[in-house]
Amino acid sequence: MAVRRRPSIPNQTAAPPNPDPGGDPQPPNTAPSLDQFSLAPPKLGLILSVLALFLIPFFYLLFVHYQVESDLRYYISICVALSLVGFVFTVGLIPVAARYLLRRNMFGYDINKRGTPQGEVKVPETLGIVTAIVFLVVAIVLQLCTLTADSDWLVEYNAALACICFMTLLGFDDDVLDVPWRVKLALPFFASLPLMMAYAGHTSIIIPKPLVPYVGLSVLDLGVIYKVYMILLVIFCTNSINIHAGLNGLEVGQTVVISFAVLIHNLMQIGASTDIDYKQAHAFSIYIMWPLLTTSLGLLAFNWYPSSVFVGDTYTYFAGMSLAVVGILGHFSETLLLFFLPQILNFLYSCPQLFGFVHCPRHRLPRFDTQTGLLTGTNDMNLVNLFLRLFGRCTEKSLCIRLLIFQALSCLMCFGLRYILAGWYK
Amino acid sequence: MVVRRRQSIPDQTVRSSELTPEKEGELSLAAPKLGLVLSILAMFLVPFFYFLFVRYRMEIEIHLRLSILVCVAISLCGFVASALLIPVAARYLLRRNLFGHDLNKRGTPQGATKVPEALGIVTGIVFLVVAVSVQLAVSFLQYNLTADSDWLVEYNAALACICFMILLGFVDDVLDVPWSVKLVLPLFAALPLVMAYAGHTSIVIPKHLVPFVGQSVLDLGWIYKVYMIMLVVFCTNSINIHAGINGLEVGQTVVISVAILIFNLIQIGASTDPDYKKAHVFSIYIMLPLLTTSLGLLAFNWYPSSIFVGDTYTYFAGMAMAVVGILGHFSETLLLFFLPQVLNFLYSCPQLFGIVPCPRHRLPRFDPQTGLLIGSSDMNLVNLFLRLFGQCTEKSLCIRLLIFQAFSCLLCFGLRSILAGWYK
Repeated sequence: MAVRRRPSIPNQTAAPPNPDPGGDPQPPNTAPSLDQFSLAPPKLGLILSVLALFLIPFFYLLFVHYQVESDLRYYISICVALSLVGFVFTVGLIPVAARYLLRRNMFGYDINKRGTPQGEVKVPETLGIVTAIVFLVVAIVLQLCTLTADSDWLVEYNAALACICFMTLLGFDDDVLDVPWRVKLALPFFASLPLMMAYAGHTSIIIPKPLVPYVGLSVLDLGVIYKVYMILLVIFCTNSINIHAGLNGLEVGQTVVISFAVLIHNLMQIGASTDIDYKQAHAFSIYIMWPLLTTSLGLLAFNWYPSSVFVGDTYTYFAGMSLAVVGILGHFSETLLLFFLPQILNFLYSCPQLFGFVHCPRHRLPRFDTQTGLLTGTNDMNLVNLFLRLFGRCTEKSLCIRLLIFQALSCLMCFGLRYILAGWYK
Repeated sequence: MVVRRRQSIPDQTVRSSELTPEKEGELSLAAPKLGLVLSILAMFLVPFFYFLFVRYRMEIEIHLRLSILVCVAISLCGFVASALLIPVAARYLLRRNLFGHDLNKRGTPQGATKVPEALGIVTGIVFLVVAVSVQLAVSFLQYNLTADSDWLVEYNAALACICFMILLGFVDDVLDVPWSVKLVLPLFAALPLVMAYAGHTSIVIPKHLVPFVGQSVLDLGWIYKVYMIMLVVFCTNSINIHAGINGLEVGQTVVISVAILIFNLIQIGASTDPDYKKAHVFSIYIMLPLLTTSLGLLAFNWYPSSIFVGDTYTYFAGMAMAVVGILGHFSETLLLFFLPQVLNFLYSCPQLFGIVPCPRHRLPRFDPQTGLLIGSSDMNLVNLFLRLFGQCTEKSLCIRLLIFQAFSCLLCFGLRSILAGWYK
């Protein structure tokens, strides 16, 4: 669940930290002028290096290693170019939006800095809305540039946009209205409905060779059960990112790592295949993943440690939905789940607390020690605390980096696994 | 522009720190005006079913009739869902300080009540769920859109547009973006439609102008796409400025959508071209949910309003209607139905463009003694009606304006049938 929850509104507005009880009726923390607020500058050096780190292998694979058709290369390059424009817009719009959000009391306090001066700062919340809106505009414009009017993929593309947009809407509603936990879980279900309607692909799965004698078939048509699987996948992807959170930069960071892995996977599949439809499926995924990657990097510029903005459920739901959508429509959902391995582990490990067998506090965060500035693991059953317990105390920044390295390593491992299993599995 | 603007935030949060109830349960909306709304619903369903089952009995295939019935049934569920969810959402919205004060009741006790704002979000979300559910349900029947790939593209593009518009409208209601940004929001939301539009981009030149133009059909190409965007920007903003009276925004949408639905049914009955019929069926699948969810909203928004609808609603409604007009290929007829909005916009131009001074809200003046509204010199239909027909209560004024809307729709039906031979 989102961990930077603003304090419940009555307390917050009724008890301003004004030491003078009888005096000035205007609480000092009301922001009368928008101009007084300014965000810390974005960590552009870090972000641009990360971006360069992605672009080099990507372009190497696209132009050097694989023989990709020239028009596909052209479209993918346009996609990258437009996504980079989206990156610039995101970085430009976040400070503007942050002012408006703060003015509307959409902020939280950084619980992992409680006790230090930074723990008193009002951090604007829900900046995921900027990322999502820029993403949608880029994705729509991209459609104009890459798809012709009679393309088969137009249906899937519009269905994907409708889903992602609906998810963003519901996520933003959740951030503004703070809906109950049970409603929150069900939101991705509604947002995935356009996908259910539009999905016209195969609903059969390939049975792994070793299991064929037991099942009796080599290909099993699941029909409507496949659609149920799709809905479950969407609900899983969105919520699992949401609960693997709580550290500055963790939510956006994991999305960046996973989407990059997906992009490399897409490119490798395009290069290694000769089936037009199969290539189109992966190109489609690229057209959605690149805007996600660049707009998320724009957000990360402000959200990386120390966070000057929080992303909100808007972001985690939006990101989860985008990843689920490309996995489904690109027909590589099993690979996607492999990339989500840390999220799966986190979810499984969290189950006892999520289902109430073990006591579950409001935020399952580590304990912050103001003297040393380090985080100490609590007994909560999630990866964040597990890492602290296994590898010892550390700063919030190092912990986040460790978790992201774990994410990257498991993606690498999945590439290796796929390569090894390809012959054995199918 | 939206008239029930909450006061500037610093004052409001100062005051609300004492007034905000600690327990959300304290807010209870006035009971919905179900009698009124259900009578409107019945009044609509009677002619609609007449056309569907009696008048065009032979012309409409059984599967199509069944699909439309399914759409009606699910839309009615949407009506119930809206009516149930609005009080729940109102509590949450009020808790988050999304409210306004009714400026047309200033000076009376009702003018001090905090009225929850932006309830259009409920209508929008229920609409989206209903629209998708209709498609899923109808996919089991023969006359469905999923089998036909072209229409599926347009349906998904329509959903994406409407959803994007609701999102931008709600962001606007929450963040209160500047007026210039507000104007261009519909442009972005219209982009999926412009990308996906695969229909003809040519217009039919009226017979009398053919000698001058030299052709009877003119292909506009990308200019048609510009026209589409302008239509969207117009529909959304024109509903937004023809507002300010309890129930006016939702009321006009209800009237126009009824007119569109009847028009769709007549066109389906009178035509034999399957593509043409599909275009109008598509419009019905979108207009019916709009109508019923709007009626659910009207139950609370009709005078005296216990909730306000927000820019979320006016943008959502305007977008939905523009979308069906474009994808259903009857945008000229749509503009005829929008006649009062067109007149209001033209009349408002001097103030909108700054030639005449334009106050923050171009509302009439409310007299607390008599309880009547008096027309100010502002240049919009609301004040014009007051100046022409004298002072009256807010409720009567709204009814008068809605009757005007209904009459111009009727006029347009008449016009179309007269002009049909002359025009094309």
